[in-house]
Amino acid sequence: MDRRTVIKNLALIIGGAALLPACSQDEAKSKVALKNIDISVVQEQLIGEVSETFIPKTTTPGAKDLQLHLFVLKMVDDCYKKDDQQAFLTGMGHFADVVQQQYGKTFNQLDTKNREAFLLDIEKEGKAEEAAAAKKDNNPIPPYKGKYSPELKKFYSMVKRQTINGYTNSKYFMTNIVVYELVPGRYNARFPYKLKQAV
Amino acid sequence: MANLNIDSVKDRTFDAIVIGSGMSGGWAAKEFTDKGLKTLILERGRDVKHIKDYPTTNMYPWEFEHRGQLPMSVQEANPIVNRCYAFGESAAHFFVKDAEHPYIQDKPFDWIRGYQVGGKSLLWARQTQRWSDFDFEGPARDGFAVDWPIRYKDIAPWYSYVEKFAGISGNRDGIAELPDGEFLPAFPLNTVEEYFSNHVKSTYKNRYVISARCAHLSTPNQIHLDQGRVQCQRRTICERGCPFGGYFSANASTIPWALKSGHATLRPFSVVESIIYDDKLGKATGVRVIDTNTKEAIEYHAKVIFVNAAALNTNLILLNSKSHRFPNGLGNDSGVLGKYVAFHNYSAHIGAQYDGAKEWTTDGRNPAGGGYIPRFRNVYRQETDFLRGYAAGFSAYRYPERSWDGVGSSLKNNLANKELGPWHVGSHMMGETIPKETNFVSLDDKQKDAWGVPLLKMNVDYDDNDEKMKKDYIEQLTEMFTSAGFTNIQAFTDRRAPGLDIHEMGGARMGNDPKTSILNKWNQVHSVKNVFVTDGASMTSTSCQNPSLTYMAFTARAADYAMSEMKKGNI
Repeated sequence: MDRRTVIKNLALIIGGAALLPACSQDEAKSKVALKNIDISVVQEQLIGEVSETFIPKTTTPGAKDLQLHLFVLKMVDDCYKKDDQQAFLTGMGHFADVVQQQYGKTFNQLDTKNREAFLLDIEKEGKAEEAAAAKKDNNPIPPYKGKYSPELKKFYSMVKRQTINGYTNSKYFMTNIVVYELVPGRYNARFPYKLKQAV
Repeated sequence: MANLNIDSVKDRTFDAIVIGSGMSGGWAAKEFTDKGLKTLILERGRDVKHIKDYPTTNMYPWEFEHRGQLPMSVQEANPIVNRCYAFGESAAHFFVKDAEHPYIQDKPFDWIRGYQVGGKSLLWARQTQRWSDFDFEGPARDGFAVDWPIRYKDIAPWYSYVEKFAGISGNRDGIAELPDGEFLPAFPLNTVEEYFSNHVKSTYKNRYVISARCAHLSTPNQIHLDQGRVQCQRRTICERGCPFGGYFSANASTIPWALKSGHATLRPFSVVESIIYDDKLGKATGVRVIDTNTKEAIEYHAKVIFVNAAALNTNLILLNSKSHRFPNGLGNDSGVLGKYVAFHNYSAHIGAQYDGAKEWTTDGRNPAGGGYIPRFRNVYRQETDFLRGYAAGFSAYRYPERSWDGVGSSLKNNLANKELGPWHVGSHMMGETIPKETNFVSLDDKQKDAWGVPLLKMNVDYDDNDEKMKKDYIEQLTEMFTSAGFTNIQAFTDRRAPGLDIHEMGGARMGNDPKTSILNKWNQVHSVKNVFVTDGASMTSTSCQNPSLTYMAFTARAADYAMSEMKKGNI
């Protein structure tokens, strides 16, 4: 990473920190202004840690630096149907319970390796389920007997989808990783692939 | 709040009244004011000033609260307009919301509307293909609707006239069924689009893939700079409104041009309830307007009235303009008003992959959208079991395939992947539909909107011809894709309601015979010589080319005729 990018990232991180919700007086409720769902501070932290496990801070900013967990909450609150929001909340509960059963700890207390392993296991089950459904095209799908409830998997996929959505549409990503040019645009109809990779 | 001083009849009297400020109304206003006519432009919605009223135009993707997606509450409250591809967080403010302006769907109809100065010209897909005699002779040759009262030679000079001002990019392709125009340089096809174009040309005698012709200033001329417009910046976020005036909209072009003349008065928030017909004088004397803010009814008068309210609202106004002479709607001696409504069939598309040309890609964005396949079915003779044919879009694109698999740094790396996947290709169908008496709009007897105007009832549907044509599109494009070596070909059809194509046309069609049509060859109401209809309502048949350019040409031609008739004292 060149010096300029480091400074830019640093500025972003500091800027991001300044925007984080101030310490809450009322510990029960999240400080994010939500209209449709109730989220406690503990739940907000859980989503933060899950988002951070998806997009961790490395040499470049992670989910919490970019406040992606707050974006996840905003999207869940505004852009999903009631049923999905309900499944999200129920699934979040199941998620916390299963972690507790499996590890005897909260998700936040797990180390990165265990966090990743846990998330990957949910993803694996979801994929197996999808593959089974795709195979049995015309036959009724037998109820899938997995470790994780449908709500838990819904919670997982909503957090993952919106973390990625927030990340790939973030100012950081769109000015550093895949540069979005608002103006002037250009159109080269015939462009050598090798040059494109270098862009 | 009546103000007697300014409400005098004199102050409410103009040379010309134009109902509607969009694609065609803007042209009427420009033509009249160019010749010094005192013109009133009535717009039912709010004003949208060029640049100033494009609130999202310079926003980066991350600046949108939901990154472009609309809140579920908005989507659920607007099932109809939400089906339109451009109804998103960046442009929702330019669309009519379902609850704001209700209508009755006797049959499903997605009526997509833009009630503001500029209308849907802010939102259109900007594709501008001329129609040809293969279109204008269609009804007569194939025995449907009525014969068009004009031929290509009548409209050709007016195409040229509007193209020069609007700014149309394209190549002179020399295809009889898609006449060449006055073009700015085309946006070129990319490597795979060009490959497919060459392949199709050498494989088929009468099939072509050309650069889509579009209303973008690829390289502006002086006349465009004079309008305050500059070169298209290849941003392709046009539906937000373009601060460069890079594409043609009434807001960037005709409306400010008309206002600059000093002869135009623009009155937003003005719903036209009806056109006033004077039985004694035997002509229309003006319009009755409801101010949408005050609900006050006001009458405006003029020598000539142009109805450019957008196809179905034009039908509504004419149907609601009842008088002793015209109990069933203005100019409706024939009884065909509101009938023979047609649209474009967009309900199929097809996608595939191409494994060649891996050493090439594109850089930036193409405002033209890629290629255009002009109609090749039933052009010179009837050759299928359905009437007419379809045009098709065609585009090829590559993008980095970014896997969402995994977590942590591996996911981060996946998302940062710059390696491009193979070329993908896609095409969508644009089919001509046959206007029929059974496809019609009418007024509800009882229900009225907030301004006391009867609600419009929709009875428009697909038919067997559309189904056969759709099947043929999929077969032909599959064959063309297969022979070009495309793989993983997948065709999709949908059950979209008519209207979502946003190319609804007809209801007040042109024709030679007053017994079977509403308008004559000058877009003039047969029986009310000082009323003209030059928007989509006037169309006798639909062609399969995009219609907006043709509305513009008809409008300029009709305005020229109306002014010459006024000079002669005939109007």
